[in-house]
Formats: sequence, C-alpha cells, structure tokens
Amino acid sequence: MTVAVRVRDVAKRFRIYHRRNLTLKQALLQRRRGVFEEFLALQGVSFEVEHGGALGIIGENGSGKSTLLKCIVGILEPDAGSIETRGRVAALLELGAGFHPEYTGRENVYLNGALLGLPRRYIDGVMDEIVEFSELQRFIDNPVRTYSSGMYARLGFSIAVHLDPDILVVDEILAVGDEAFQRRCYDRIARMRAEGRTLIMVSHALEPIQEFCTDCIWLDRGRVRERGAAPAVIARYLAEVSARESALMASEVERVHQLVPSGRGGVGVTRVRFEGADGPTHVFETGDPFEMVIEYHAPARLEGARFSVGFQREDGVVVFSTTTDDVDSAASSLPPTGEVRLRIPSLPLLEGLFRASVIISDAGTGEPYTVLEGAFPFRVRSHRLRERGVALLGHRWELPTAAHRRSVEA
Amino acid sequence: MHQFKVRRLPKAPVPPATTGPDREGPRVQLRDNRALNRERLRQLVRRELTARYRGSVIGVAWSLLNPVVYMIVYTVVFSKFMRFNIPGTPYPVYLLSGLLAWNFLTQSISASVNSVLGNAVLVKKVAFPWIMLTVATVISAFVNYAISLILLAPLLIFFHVPVSPALALLPVVTAVLFAFALGLSLGLAAANVYFRDIEYLTMIAIQVWFFMTPVIYQLDQILAASHGSRLFTIFRWILYVNPMTWVVSAFQDVIAFHRWPTHRLGLVYAAAVGALALGAGIALFNRLSRRFAEEL
Repeated sequence: MTVAVRVRDVAKRFRIYHRRNLTLKQALLQRRRGVFEEFLALQGVSFEVEHGGALGIIGENGSGKSTLLKCIVGILEPDAGSIETRGRVAALLELGAGFHPEYTGRENVYLNGALLGLPRRYIDGVMDEIVEFSELQRFIDNPVRTYSSGMYARLGFSIAVHLDPDILVVDEILAVGDEAFQRRCYDRIARMRAEGRTLIMVSHALEPIQEFCTDCIWLDRGRVRERGAAPAVIARYLAEVSARESALMASEVERVHQLVPSGRGGVGVTRVRFEGADGPTHVFETGDPFEMVIEYHAPARLEGARFSVGFQREDGVVVFSTTTDDVDSAASSLPPTGEVRLRIPSLPLLEGLFRASVIISDAGTGEPYTVLEGAFPFRVRSHRLRERGVALLGHRWELPTAAHRRSVEA
Repeated sequence: MHQFKVRRLPKAPVPPATTGPDREGPRVQLRDNRALNRERLRQLVRRELTARYRGSVIGVAWSLLNPVVYMIVYTVVFSKFMRFNIPGTPYPVYLLSGLLAWNFLTQSISASVNSVLGNAVLVKKVAFPWIMLTVATVISAFVNYAISLILLAPLLIFFHVPVSPALALLPVVTAVLFAFALGLSLGLAAANVYFRDIEYLTMIAIQVWFFMTPVIYQLDQILAASHGSRLFTIFRWILYVNPMTWVVSAFQDVIAFHRWPTHRLGLVYAAAVGALALGAGIALFNRLSRRFAEEL
C-alpha cells in the first residue's frame, strides 16, 4: 500500500498575546508587536495514513486536533517537521464557509465549489445531484441569507461530498442538521470509504470515529498519547475521560455532603454513591447495571419514612422518579442508620448528563425531612448512532420477509 | 527547531479515485491546477463585482452609475463653471484621462487593503491560494477601469478630440499601472492583517498622494516654472519620485493630447517601480500569509 499522508515530527507554536499591538501606531510606540507567550499546540506529532485508510483523531478540547488538521490541509504552517500528502485533498473544516449571503444557493455552489477546487464544468454535471442530496430543490434559487442554519449546513455538505477527493479531511461538522440528514452524511462518508478514498476525521463525538476509522490517534496537549487500532485507542481514551469525569463528580458530591446539614428532625442523607459493575463510579454505559446507594441517618428508628429518587437530564427533562411507597411495610420501620439501594439491572438511559435527586419524607403526612434536589450527577455514555433520545426502549422491528412479499405479489 | 518543509509528493502513483456505483455526472480531469485557479479567480471577481449590488433594483448597473455621474459632473463643472486652461486639450478631457488612471489605483488599493481581513472566514476555513482574494479585488477594479475607459469615448467625440496612433501604447501604460497597483495592493492587504490601522493610513495617504500627482494640474507647467520657494523645490522632487506622475502623464498624453508620451524616461522609471512593487508585493504577501490563519 502507498502512503497517502505522512506527518513527521510536526510542531506548531501559537502566540498567546497578553497585550497585542494590533495597530502600527502602538507597535511603533512600543517597538514591538505585543507581549506574548508561546504555546506549543503540537509537538513531535508523527503518523502515516495509507491509501484507502481511515484515521480518527480524538482528544479533549484544546488538545490540538483542529490545529493538526489545519496543518495537514495547508491552512496553518507547522514550525517544525514535515507533512506530505499524495493525491487531491479536500478539507471540510466548516460547512458553507464563505457562502455569500446575497447569492442564491445555486450561485454559492459554484462559488464555494470553485474555492474548494471544483471546476465549473464538473459542477454543471453534478448540480442536480447536489441539489437533490441537499433536499433544497424549492429553495436553491433563493439567497442563502433566507436559509435556516440547517439548510445552510445541508447545502455545504452536499457540495463537500461531491468534491471527489483522494483524501477527505473532516473536522467535526456533522453535529448540524437533522438526524435523517446526518445519517445520510454518514452513509455518504461510508460510501467514499468503500470507494477506496482516504479519510482523516476529527470528532468530539466518538461514535463516527468508531464507525468509520480503522486507526486512531489520541492527542493529549499537543502530543500523540496513543496510536493504534481505533477500538483499542478509543476504549483507553474513554476509560481516562470517564475516570476523570467520575472523580470530578465524586468531589462535587463530597462537597454537597459537607455543606448540607441534616434535615428536619435530624433525619438526613449521610452519603449517596452510584455503583456500576466494577464498584463506585459516576459514569455508566447504556445497559450497564446501575445502583444508587443512599446512606441515611436518623436520631432513632425511622418510622413510616418514604424515600424518593428522581433523575433529571441536563436539559431539565425529568426522566424517571420513584418512591419506596410500593415496597411493602418493611419500609415502615428502619434502623437509625442504614443503606437504601435503588437497583436498575440494565440502565436503559441513552447518552447524557443526568442528576439524581433524593428526598426523604414522612409517608403519612408527606412532609419532607430532607430534600437534595439534583445534587448527584452521573453521566451515561452510549455508542449508538442509530438510537437517540432519552432512553433506550426495548424494541423489535418487523419487516415484510421475502416469503411474505412473494405471497403479496402472487 | 528543525527546518520546516511541506512536500507534495508526485502525483504519478495515485490511483484514480474509483467511481461509485450510482455516481452520475461527467468525470473531468480534476487535477489541472491552473484551470482550477482560473475558475477560483473568476468566481471571486464575480463575487466582488456583483455581490455588493444584490437585492437592489437596478443591480450591477450601480457600478456603471458611479463613473457616469462623476464624468458628467466633472465635465459640466469644469467646462461651464470653472474654466481651467490647459493648452492643447479641453480641460474635462484632460482631467478625466488622468483620473482614469488615478481611480484605478485608488480603487484597487482601498478595496484590497481589506481583502484578506474581510474574508477571515475563508482564510481560516478554506485552503486555497489566498493571494487570489487580493488579485480578484484588483481585477474587479480593473473591470471598472475598463468601463470608465469605454465611457470616455463619447466624451472625446463630444469635444472633438482626435484619436491618435499613440493610443496603441495605452495597453502598455495600463500594464505598468496594473503591476504597480497590484503590487501595492498585495503588500497592503497582507500588512493590514498584522496592523489593522494600515487601512486608515492608506485612506489618508491616498488623499495626500492625489495632490502630489498631476491629475488636476499639469505636470509640464510645474516643471517649466524656473524657480520657486524651497517648498516648491521639494514638491518638484516629490513629483519626480512619484511613479504615478509618469503613469498619469502618459495617460494624458495618449488620450487627451493625442500624442506619444513626452516623458519617456519617466515612463521607463514608472515601469521599473511597477515591476519592483509587484515582485515585492508578491514576496511580502507570500511571506506574511504563512501566519494569516493564526493572526486573523
């Protein structure tokens, strides 16, 4: 196999200006262009992508992913090292970058296409295809300033997939548009892969990388932290990100416990923790076993108490709430300290940040002893591209089978 | 740090991208960079010329309106109300033939100085030769120049100014002017990314420069004056050094005076400065453009 992209020892420094002299006047008066610090956005980055290969680049915000892409496509110039590319490179760093608002969609296809490297004759030939893919037939001759951001992105992507490159470089651009369109974009990328084109992809979301990329590099503060087969690198990356996030959430919960005093009548929550298959954590995957353990304390035996737990997603959607009311009278008399466990054998929640609330109240009067609203965060990850929403509902699809169809035709 | 190097590998071993099963439309040769860049330039010039007037009722006609109006106003004012006397040609014709050259220069640089900064999104997100942004602005100023030149024809007929074979030299003089304008535009466009007040300094400089260029007055009258104050001597020296002096006077010679340029040495000097400006402008632009995406 031949090498399509070879990156060797690339370093890129940025200047972070503390004070920047943006005018000639200031620069002359102070005899310098500003006070700045140098920041190594990339250092010692090396890798190769073979023809027809697909490389994903992952890493946290500010790890240098986009800087690396911009170096590969030639927008930024590395300070050290070399980058070689073989074949036509098409870079998709932003959909519809450079659209002119007063131009119609059609005119912008020619303008944007030309800038990205498509000759007019070629665009003439694929125009119908572009329009059809973008589903903007009715709007293609209106100025793009009248477009919604979704329409804008759709047109941008439709141009992009017709670039016909040897090497496709994609920054995270697919976060826009409705889901059906996103799905078609992914299908299109899959097809380009099948056609033997080389793909380099940066994404904050890991699912597309998992789906398309065979290899992966993990950038950490400008350096290649790991490099290898995509599933392995992603798994290690996720483990670290989850561990870090989990620790952060644990310390948040710790603060809550320190700050919040016991509730009415000395009844309170001593500690709340989440447990997964491997012990305490705050990060779960869809389908993981999930336990929420509430340690409580009371001055004496706790009679007729009700424990309530609710889950709320980040955006305020109440996902689920439950109380111990359904549990039989065993709950009516509890020891002064103890653990109450809420056990979900297979967590059906989909990707998101959730917060749990805990309320202990008197089952008889309904009066609360203690209320901890949204105090306990946990994260759910799911690696599903096709199922979205709050929860994964148990489901099964039924399609007309071949046998069935035959009987209909007969 | 070691040396930086971006090498594009030879294209030969690249297998042609295979065509997908349901892909339609013509396969054309996509690797011809010259043709591609021509198309980029074409689209950018088109954008420059038409986009501004979109949404207005008369559209691109606006760009015609400007030269038509100033030509009419100048002609009426200077042939009816203020009568300057320049022997050998009607004053409006003299004035407008010099202004033709001057306006091309000022339109080029005043539009170009912002041509990179004003397209920050493109520079940061699309990889293409950014020098085209500035080249396109200068070319669109050139289109306006060509329109003005055509509009000058009825004026010449109206004032009974004969057409001379010296007009054949107009393309050469225009080329000198174009090189000078483009070089200056490239340098200013690139420098303005780093120092944002270059734009304002340019506007002021254009005002001052105008009076240091024999557009409204006649070069030969200044040069013929036998003596003068110290300030006048300095002024004369500025006229000598200013390449636009010789470009403008060549325009006046071939159009208004219907004769071959009288200051040939000056024109050669202007051509040399023009070539130098172009080379320096391209070099400066290429040098500074390495960090455009960071500075914007």
